[in-house]
Parts: sequence; structure tokens; C-alpha cells
Amino acid sequence: MFRFYGGQVVKKGTYWNLSSGESIELEYEKVLPGNRQVRYLKVPTTGIFILGPISGLLFICLLPLMSLLIVITLLSRIAVASDALKSDEAAMCMGCHSTQGVVKTFKNKEKVSVYIEESHFKNTVHGFLTCTSCHSTVSMDNHPSAQYASKKEFATQLSKACKTCHSNEQVLARPIHKQAITRANAPPCSDCHGSHSISKVSGGKETASNSQYCLTCHKKDLNLSMKGETLSLTIDETILRKSVHGNHNCSDCHTQFSKKEHPLKTFGSKRELSISVAGVCKGCHPEKYKQYQGSIHSNMLMQGNLNAPVCTDCHGAHSVGHKELVETISGVPCRKCHEATFEAYKSSVHGQAKINGKNNAPICSSCHSAHEMRPALASRSPRATCMGCHRNAAELHKEWLPNSGIHLEAVACTACHVPDAERRVYLRVTDSDSGENISKARVKQFLGANYESLTLAKANGIEDQQLWDMYQKLGDSGTKMNLTGTLGLNDCNQSHMLAPKGKALKQCDKCHDADSKSFKAVSMAIITPNGHEERYNVNPAVLGSMFSILPLNQFYALGGTRIKILDIIGILMVVGGMSVPIVHITLRILTSPIREARRLNKLRKEGRR
Amino acid sequence: MKKIYLHPLPVRVWHWINALSFLLLIVTGLQIRYRDVFKLTSFKTAVDIHNILGFVLLFNFFIWLIYYLVSGKFNIYIPEFSLRSLIEGSIRQARYYGYGIFVGEENPHHSTPDNKFNPMQQMAYLNIMALFIPIQIATGLLMWDVKGFSQWTNLAGGIKIVDSVHVLLFLFFTSFLFVHVYLATLGHSTFAHIKAMFSGYEEEPEHGPSH
Repeated sequence: MFRFYGGQVVKKGTYWNLSSGESIELEYEKVLPGNRQVRYLKVPTTGIFILGPISGLLFICLLPLMSLLIVITLLSRIAVASDALKSDEAAMCMGCHSTQGVVKTFKNKEKVSVYIEESHFKNTVHGFLTCTSCHSTVSMDNHPSAQYASKKEFATQLSKACKTCHSNEQVLARPIHKQAITRANAPPCSDCHGSHSISKVSGGKETASNSQYCLTCHKKDLNLSMKGETLSLTIDETILRKSVHGNHNCSDCHTQFSKKEHPLKTFGSKRELSISVAGVCKGCHPEKYKQYQGSIHSNMLMQGNLNAPVCTDCHGAHSVGHKELVETISGVPCRKCHEATFEAYKSSVHGQAKINGKNNAPICSSCHSAHEMRPALASRSPRATCMGCHRNAAELHKEWLPNSGIHLEAVACTACHVPDAERRVYLRVTDSDSGENISKARVKQFLGANYESLTLAKANGIEDQQLWDMYQKLGDSGTKMNLTGTLGLNDCNQSHMLAPKGKALKQCDKCHDADSKSFKAVSMAIITPNGHEERYNVNPAVLGSMFSILPLNQFYALGGTRIKILDIIGILMVVGGMSVPIVHITLRILTSPIREARRLNKLRKEGRR
Repeated sequence: MKKIYLHPLPVRVWHWINALSFLLLIVTGLQIRYRDVFKLTSFKTAVDIHNILGFVLLFNFFIWLIYYLVSGKFNIYIPEFSLRSLIEGSIRQARYYGYGIFVGEENPHHSTPDNKFNPMQQMAYLNIMALFIPIQIATGLLMWDVKGFSQWTNLAGGIKIVDSVHVLLFLFFTSFLFVHVYLATLGHSTFAHIKAMFSGYEEEPEHGPSH
């Protein structure tokens, strides 16, 4: 009833060519186009009006079921297709890239191996991706020969591929990324994460120890640039593990850094960074830090000397060793700054003993202490330090040295035990009542403008009259000044060149002689608030001056520093004494005729009688 | 010629020990102070000898002191209490040495065991024995052990002052020695007084008192 064929004469209506799908609208009775094989269906108008809504309703009801069926059916077909595609692509790429020794040369002649270990890649978090997922410029049909300037540029360009999956928001959510990749010269992703061997950071690293987390990046070649300096941020894990802090976490010392925090810090210089980080040590070593605080090194730092050593300068940063290490001849850190002194020490009886394996032989810290380092003052004898080990030194000196007590007080041990060194007399400005040093400020306060003139370099140094003025001025202010003299060495470095006992000076004449060289150089020492001493040249004639009898009443070497004016008085007295008999005898000879005349006269008188 | 027993044995022993010690102390003292000029011994030897002789002098001083205190003859050192007669006596003695001796006058002073010294000698020896020698011994002791006696040294004004005093007295003694020895030759014969210091007996010519 509704089916028609081509060539059949039909009435007006809409006919649907089932073969071609076209619909023909006939406005009057007409022959249907085509031969008998072409079949037509007449679509009744009322029928469309009734069937349309019914089929629409049916479609809507069945739609979810249909969708589900379609998805299940199609998904399996797509997956199979993709796998097939991937394996095809990988097989094609690996055809070449599984061959070892194939290299790519960049424009700057850098070479990179293009060999890929397939199994490595399969086990990475990106194992499901195809080669072209990242190497997007390469396809199965096209393998352009990319021209990169350098390996770095290659890595940077390729890292852009990461962003196709890892959005900026996702990446910047990690604090470390925020710092690392927002910089102008940010390293490519592969610098930290690797390329074909990318592991799952979020899974693997979070559970790893804090140190391992940090080392993920910091064992790589990392640098930090700061104002023209480059600081290596690379940590050698083997050194770290060998140190006494080998089991510590990085964040134990780098307290502001953790898996979650990686603040961006800026420092003026590498040195500033070192000083800042060293402050952390006091957290665990408060007593050592306290000792350090009073030291000359700490004082220097406080005064703005950035070269003053902090903890890490002596102990190292990541390589902090055992205490014994810094007490060996090769490991002692002091030589870094005090090379000349160390060389002097090495040649000494102490240094030689240490070199020859005597472990109890003293090294720098044995005498100078380590953390509470005080300045070694040229104007003071190191006696107390020396006697710390040489306990019977006082008794031994007493056996042969007259007045050994005063010698040990006024003569620095080094003055005799470094026999070849040049000696110098140091006059320390002290309060004669308390024996304490008179501070520079106090001397300045009472001397006023005279202080400057006192300390101005003069050809011969400070003169006796000036010291006498100083003595009087301080005396007027109620301070009885005394210049405490010590015979020490001219060059502090030489103090370290202690000779074996047998070679020490034993000849008294070396000093107790006006021609002695020991008293030809004199300095006045004023101790500054930080414990240093300021030294001013003094005319050596001061030692033998009458004006120094009171200000310098404690320093005197028989024969060596005798008061010159007494010599003149002495000559006058002795010449006077000798002239009495000479003059008297002369007068007696001259007057003998008088006596003779008187005697004869007397005899004559007696004769008369 | 009459003989006066002027110098008892303890005094003679004391005198000659003193004389020898003084000479050696002066020599070693010079050696200690002026090593740049004299080089007779090493400094150490000079100091050692000087120290020993210093103690000899110290003990010797006590021989003298004890003898005079025990014998009660100490007053030979004490000048007359009358200032007038002391001045007169001194002027008379000075006049003799400065004038009388040249014109053949007699020494106004006659030594007896109880009145041994003329007023000038009394003043000189009293100063020397009661002041200078004790001070010299004391300053010597302070320097012998500077550390041990440091409190005393400081009380005296410091080692430089102590040494200066010691040196000044040393110079005085050296200078005095010339005068002392010379005056000893002014007896009735050149060696009369010196002989007496050995024998104890001062010879005095019968016709008049000695010089």
C-alpha cells in the first residue's frame, strides 16, 4: 500500500527513495523516476504527525541505555586501536633509539646519547605515553632533524611539552617550583626530574626522608648566583653522610626549609649567607656558641669584619668532622687565615713533635683555646698557658736562674725559648693599685688632646717627658699609672717558633748588658675594649731615663736598662773621691818647705833653751 | 814610743773582712752594672759572687753591731751631744786637714780606746755604719729576691728606686774608699794606722800625740 517502484504512475504526495534516501515531493499525478529496482516509500502526512512524537518519546527513554551501550562498545574499540597505535609508534621509534652509541650533536658540538632503555621508560609515571606525546614535532610520518644550539636549549624546548599535561597552577602549587621555575634562567624540568626515567615525585619523595627529598635536587649540579658570585648548591651526599651530622635531616640546620617550605632568600654575598647559616649551630651547641661570643673572632664579626670566622669556617658546613680532625697538623683550620703563624709553629719543637706523631703535642687550640679565643697579647707573657703543660717550669728555672720569680714575670717565655728572635720591650699601661689595665678610653679622657700628640708617630717614638706627663696627668685624676714592662718578641709569629729546651737562651749577658739588643725596641701597649692592644713606639732611651723611675718603676734589668744619669753622678763621685788624696798629697808636697822651716825653727828654739 | 791598744781583735777581724768584701763587692758590682765596659767574669758569676759577699757583709755587720753593743763601746761613734762643741771640734779637725797639716801643726785629736774618732770621723762612721750600710744591705736583699720582697720593694717605690739607692751608695762607698785609705796613711808614719789595724796597737811617739 505504501510501497512503490520506479516508472510507476503515482498520485500526489511525498515519496521517499529508499535507495538514495532522497524524498520527492509530487504536486500532481506523475511517474516515479528510475527503473523498477528503485523502491519508494510513501510517507503519509498524518502518519508522520502521529509517529513523530511517539518515536521521539521512545528515543528519549532509551537514550541513556543507548549511550551506555555506545560508550562500552566504542571505548573498547578505541583502546584497542590506541594500543595498537602506540606499540606501532614505539616499535618504530625504538627501531633506531634502542641502539646504543647513537648520538645527536648540537650546534655547539655538545653531544647527547639518543639511546633509550625501553624498560626504564615503561616503569616511569609516563609509561603510558607514546614517544610523540612529548616529542610532538616527531610523528610516524615525519622525523625532522631539529637544530638546537645546545643541550640546554634542547632540554628547555622539550620541557615545554610537560606543560601540555601539567598546568602552571599544578606546578606552582609546589613551593620549590615557585622558586625554581619562575626565574629567568629557570632550569628545564628534566634537570630535576630526569627525562625518560621520570619517577613519581608525589608518591615516592614525600615518603622519603627529609634529606633525601632535598637531595633530589641538591645532589644535582645546582648553582645560585648572587651579585657576581656563584654559590654551588650541590651537596655531595657521601661527604654529608661521613660527617658527624650524617644522620641529621637537612631541615635540622636549614630550619626554614622543609618539604613544604622553600623560601626565596637573598644575600648580599656568599659570605653573608655563610654567616647567617652558621647561627643555626647554637641551637644544639649553646655552650660553644657562648664561648665563641666573647672571642676575638666574634668581636671582629660584631665590628663588621665579614672575614671573621664563624662555626663553618673551621668545622666545615656539610662536612663537619670529629673534633680530633681539626686538631691534626693537616686538618687544623687556623692556617687558612694564619698561614705565616702556622708555618712558624710547624718549625717549632711543638710542631715537629706533632708531625712526628706525638698526639699530645700542642696544636693551635691547645694554647689559644678554640671557641673562646682571646687575642694573644704581645705585651703579656704566655707563662700561664705554657705552665699549663710545663708544670714544673718554675722549679726548674729556680735551680739555676737568680731571681727566677721576677724573670718569669717580666720576661715572656718566648723571649728566651725562641733564641734567635728579635726582642722588644712592651710597656702596658696599668693601674698600679689594682694591677689592671687602664682602658684606652680612660687614658684618652684624662690626656685629652695630649693623647693624640702622644700617639702620633714620632721619629724616635714616645719620649720620656711625655710618659712623665702622662703619669702626672693620670695621677692628678687619682689614677696611679704604672707601665708594666714585659720583655717579649718583636714579631708575634716568631713566638710560635719555640726551640727545643736545650737551645733556649741561658746566657744572662744577652740582656744584662747595656749593649744588649733586647732593649733597643720599646712599645707602649694600651688594651682596647675588645681585648686587642694598640701599640705605640717608644724611644728606647726611656728605659734608662730618670723620668721613668716612677712611671716605669717595675721594669729594670741590671746592667741592661741602667739609669744613665747615675753613671754621670758616679763618675763625678769617684773622681771627687780620688782627687781628695791627689790634691792633698800635692799640697803636702808643695807645703813641705813650710813644715821644714817650722821644724828647724822649733829645733833652734829648743836648742836655745 | 808608747803603744795604745786601740783595735780589739773582733774589730780588726770585722774590719778586714769588711775591707775585702767591699773591694770584691765593688769589682763584682761594676761587673754587674757595666758589663759593656768590663768583661772580667760572666754576669752570672758576678751576680753569684756579689750575692755571697753581700751575705758575708750582712753577717759581718752583725759582728760589729753585737761587739759594740756588748762591749758598751758604741759611744765612740756618738758625737758630742753639744752642738757647739761638735761644730767647734769639726771645724778644728777640718782646719787641721785643710791647713794645719800643711804647716806642721799637730793633729788636734788623740785617739784613745774610749775616744777613738775625731768629730768628723764620728759623723762619717755613724752615718756609714748606722745608715748607709744597713740601707745598702737592705736594698741588696730586696734585689737578691725581687719577687719574694716585692711588697717591700713597692713600699720603697719600686725596683728602680731601690736599685738607684743601691748604686748611689755603691758610688759613695767607692769614692769614700779613696779618702779612707788616704787618711789611713796620715799617721805618724805612712803605715802606722794600717799596721795598728793588724796588730791592734797604735804606736804613738812619746814626745807628742799621734795624728
